[in-house]
Formats: sequence, C-alpha cells, structure tokens
Amino acid sequence: MSRDKILSNIGDIIKPLKDIDLDIDRKSFNDKVATFKQMLQVAGGRVVEVNSLDISTIKSYFLKNKNIIDTTKQFTDTQNAISGKEYDITIIEAKFGVAENGAVWIEWNDRYPRSLITLSEALAIILRQDNIYETMQEAYNNIDFEDISYGLFLSGPSKTADIEQSLVFGAHGAVELTIFLI
Amino acid sequence: MMVNHAQNAQKFLSDKKMAKWHNEALWFVRQKRDNAVKSIDEWEALRQKAKEIKSHTLRYLRYYLQEFEKNAISNGIEVYWASDANECNEIVYKLIKQEDGKKVVKSKSMLTEECGLNPYLEQRGIEVTDTDLGERIVQLANQHPSHIVLPAIHLKKEQISSIFHDKMGTQKGNSDPEYLTKEARKDLRKKFLDADVAITGVNFALAKEGAITVCTNEGNADLGASIPNLHIACMGLEKVIPSAQELGVFTRVLARSATGQAITAYTSHFKKPKPNARLCVVIVDNGRSSMLHSNIFNALSCIRCGACMNTCPVYRRSGGHSYESVVPGPIGSVLNTQKNIDKYASLPFACSLCASCDNVCPVKIDLHNRLYIQRQEAIKHPEFKTKREILKLSAKIMQNPKLFAALMNIYRRVGKYIPNWIINSKYNIWAKHREMPQPAPKSFAQIYKEMQNEQR
Ligand code: SF4
Repeated sequence: MSRDKILSNIGDIIKPLKDIDLDIDRKSFNDKVATFKQMLQVAGGRVVEVNSLDISTIKSYFLKNKNIIDTTKQFTDTQNAISGKEYDITIIEAKFGVAENGAVWIEWNDRYPRSLITLSEALAIILRQDNIYETMQEAYNNIDFEDISYGLFLSGPSKTADIEQSLVFGAHGAVELTIFLI
Repeated sequence: MMVNHAQNAQKFLSDKKMAKWHNEALWFVRQKRDNAVKSIDEWEALRQKAKEIKSHTLRYLRYYLQEFEKNAISNGIEVYWASDANECNEIVYKLIKQEDGKKVVKSKSMLTEECGLNPYLEQRGIEVTDTDLGERIVQLANQHPSHIVLPAIHLKKEQISSIFHDKMGTQKGNSDPEYLTKEARKDLRKKFLDADVAITGVNFALAKEGAITVCTNEGNADLGASIPNLHIACMGLEKVIPSAQELGVFTRVLARSATGQAITAYTSHFKKPKPNARLCVVIVDNGRSSMLHSNIFNALSCIRCGACMNTCPVYRRSGGHSYESVVPGPIGSVLNTQKNIDKYASLPFACSLCASCDNVCPVKIDLHNRLYIQRQEAIKHPEFKTKREILKLSAKIMQNPKLFAALMNIYRRVGKYIPNWIINSKYNIWAKHREMPQPAPKSFAQIYKEMQNEQR
C-alpha cells in the first residue's frame, strides 16, 4: 500500500517531546481599532461605525430592492428563504477582527450554505470593537476549532491583480465588503 | 535532453520591451514586499520562527502526517496516499468517476501542475477549468504558468485581451484590466455553478485539528468548494504543520512575502465536509520522502510565496518559462536539480550567487548555498564538457604562479596586436556580452616589487 511505503520512506515515527515555543516579543499598537480600520481600507473594505445595529441601518448602506440574507438571526423581519444560487447581500457576524491586516474571523457551522460567503455580491459583517486582536498569533490563540466545520479569515473583498498587476476587486467572491463596527 | 537555461533566456531577452517590463514588474512586487515587511518590527524573529516550525515538522514528519490523517478521518474527511504523480492522478480520476463527474473547477495548486493532472483528466473526457484568473489566462492561451503566484506575469494586457477575444468573445482591442476581469468573472461564474467536482490545493494541513488551510485572494477555492458535492484537495506531504497555532506565524509571513499584502483576502480552514458532501484529501509523495534524506531537505520547508523569484536578477531577466519546470526561480532550480540532474543541470548556473533569495525567503532556506553545492555535481554533465575542460585548464594555470606570470607576460606583449575580431569573436564565449580587457602595461607583482625597491 502506498501509505505504508511512503511513511516508512520518511522514517521511524518519533513523537516530539514538546511543542514549539511560539512566543515572539513585540510592541503593541497604540490604537488597535484605528490600525484595524486603516488596514481594512488598504484591503479594499469599507468601515461603518454604528452605535447599535438594526436592519434599516444596514439596508441604508446598500442599494434598494436588494435581497438580504441574515445569518445572524437578529433581524427576523427580512429573513428570506435561501433558494437560488445567487444572492445580493449576506449579513454575517464576525467572531473577532485582526488589527494588523484588517481581517475578520468567520466561523461556519453549516446552518447556512457555505456558498453564501462567495456567491453574495456584498457582505455586511458585524464586528464588535471590543473583539479586535492585534496579530494573527493572538487571533489563533483565541479560536476554538472544536465546533467549526469551516472557518475563514476574510480581509476585504475578493481581488486579483493577475492582469499586469492592476488591482481589480470582485474577482470571484464578494465585490464589496462592509464592516459594521459597533 | 538537458534544459538549456542560457539559451532560453536569450530568447526571452530578444523582446527587449517585454523583458524590461517583466523585470520592472517583478521588482515592483519585491518593493511592495519590502514595504510590508518594514511595518513589522519583529519580522526577523517571525522568519526565524517560521523556519524553526518547518524544521521541527520535517524532523517529526511521520508523526504529524499520521496525526493529521487520524484527526482528519474523525472529522469525516477521506484521506488518500499517492506515491507518485500517476497514482495521484488515478486517485483523483477514480473519485471523480464515483460521483459521475464531468466538469471540474480547480483552484491554484502547483502540485497538480507537477502531476500533470489537467491533461490526464482531459484525456479521459473530463473538463477541467482553472479558476484562478492568472491560471485561467494561461489555460486559455494553451501555456503553463511562468510564476507560482503570478501565473500570467509573462503576458501583457493586450495579449490577454486578444486571448479573451478569441476564446470568450470579449470586445476586440479592449484591454482594460477591470473589463477583462469582469468578463472572466462572468464566464467562470457559469463554470462554478455547473461544476460536479472542485479541486483545490492545500497551503497548510493542520495535524492537531485534522483540517486543511487554503489561501487565495480571489475566493475561487472557497467558491469552488462550496457548490459541488465532492471537494478534492491535493497536497504534497510536506504541507503538514503541527497545529493551527503555527498558522499564527505563517499567515503573518506568507502574503507579505508574496505580494506585499498583510494577508490574503481569504484564509480558509476546511475541517469537515459540507453536509451530505465529501471532502477528500490526497497526500502526495512524488519524490519528497527521498528528498527528505538528501542534502536539500530544507527546500521542503518552502511555502511557495514566490519571493525568491521576484527578487532574483536571473529570473526577472529570463522569465519563468526559461526554467522549463513547474516551479521556476531559485527554489525551482534547487528542487528540479535534485529530482533530475540530467535534465536540469543548467539551472544551478542560472544564478549569480548574490543570495538575495536567501534574504527574502520567509522560511530562511539557504537557496544560493544549495545551488552552489549542486553546481559541483551539475558540472559533470556531458553537455558541460568543454566548459569543464577550460575551467580545469585555467585552474592548473592559476595554481602555478610561474606559468601564470609567463603567460600573462606574453599576453601583455602581444595582446594589443591581436585584432578585435579575433579576440572578441563568437568562439570566445567569455566575450559574448563584454569585451576582453586590454592588458595593463605592468603586472601587480612587478609594480609591487618596484615600489619595494624605491623604498629601500
Ligand atoms: S523558497 Fe522561500 S522565498 Fe522561495 S517560494 Fe519558497 S518560501 Fe518563498
């Protein structure tokens, strides 16, 4: 069997005695919320600061007559049936954000189709200011993979620069990504 | 047949305008990387950690692979093992057949390029669509990627416009990147919605979590994998790392090194298949396990960021295709020479030993050292017989100070009378891109001796 041949080619099985020490000294950011906002803009995302959240606020940032799907179950009035394969706007709540790169962490446990994330034209992502970490290292320290089936960091909308290095947004996934920062 | 890199480079350089553009475009990417790196004070510490994690994992590779397998299976992922390219292709084909699949969407995976998966499947009647825009462009142009991160960097937008016009019917002569990208998006969206199977690569496999991580900017891996019932992910066996904790280091260095972005737009972790669907991981060896026991084992730490290509003065001026291999540039030279020295003996010489690659590599592979060491073997290739004999002869002369001085004296006396067309003729390969220097009137030893006499 190829499996055993490959494994024996690699060598004996040795169990590492201890984990790698991953600590790295670094200076903290002066203002991580400001850094987050700045990095998100660099990544092509939009930041909207709000005090509290309701569906009409979110709606007001998008064109009228757009079909909105809410995966947070916060806004019962607009819950649309997920039928077709193309969606307009999807509302998602992010677990946390990362200041150094403007990314947000999204955990999926398959209550909704995964395709919502990439097939939607626009993503409206809700993030609480208190939930921003400085770096990816801090971020991974705070993810519990136990109940996740699919999870991702999203940093701005989908993009490409494959034609002569010119940056274009909306290569395949969402063309727009708006973070509602509470 | 040995790949003749120098000859290929010459061909590339004959289009002067394109060569200049290529050089500058890649240097621009290198500068973006520098800016991104400068914003991180602890950059060097991060590189050091990244290197340590990789060395650690390679040392305990068997343990981590088995851990990954065990945990992935308990997450509902199917795990397959392939000894070589052919077995990988067979496994993938069998999986596709099980689902009665006919249409495949594939996101970027250097491994499947290495295995020649596309032609294998196409010969068996499967339609494979590369969905990364750069890869789609080269696929439509019937070419291969010339760079691992920027597959179509060897093409200008006018060329892409005419390829799209021929294959997708876009407006003739419209080469606006925004327009072309949107047209490709529309065309590929149909392919995504129609696909029966999605194939992706793997950037990292997490042993502890039994999950795989895929990084893209376009979102094509996520979009592909989210629709059909079968997702096949192909990975080289060196892609495993201990756990998600280590991703905290790699996600900080990967995109910064690759394109100067702080992170890729999508960094996705697939831990379980979609409900009622299958997620299959194919772990491929194809020479890697024996490379682990060679003196270039650390080249297996590569995270395929492409930084060594962007910075390489030879790569920038010869283009990715001149290496005639899936992975070009410094890391490609190291890997290919190890795999098949008969074919790739010219690649260790496609290097100025400037070590710029070592300095940008996020996992600190000593690329130029490896190439230097590989030269000692590569020079034995029959194609280099003349070169070898000339070098041997010059070594003999230089090791003998008297003989060397005597020959130089002759050259000093008669050198200036030899006509230029002889001395810089095409047979003197040394004088191909430069002129032979005129001999100085006196040798250094002579001047030194005279000065000593004067002082006395
Ligand atoms: S060798 Fe280093 S610099 Fe080159 S692609 Fe691999 S990780 Fe990047």
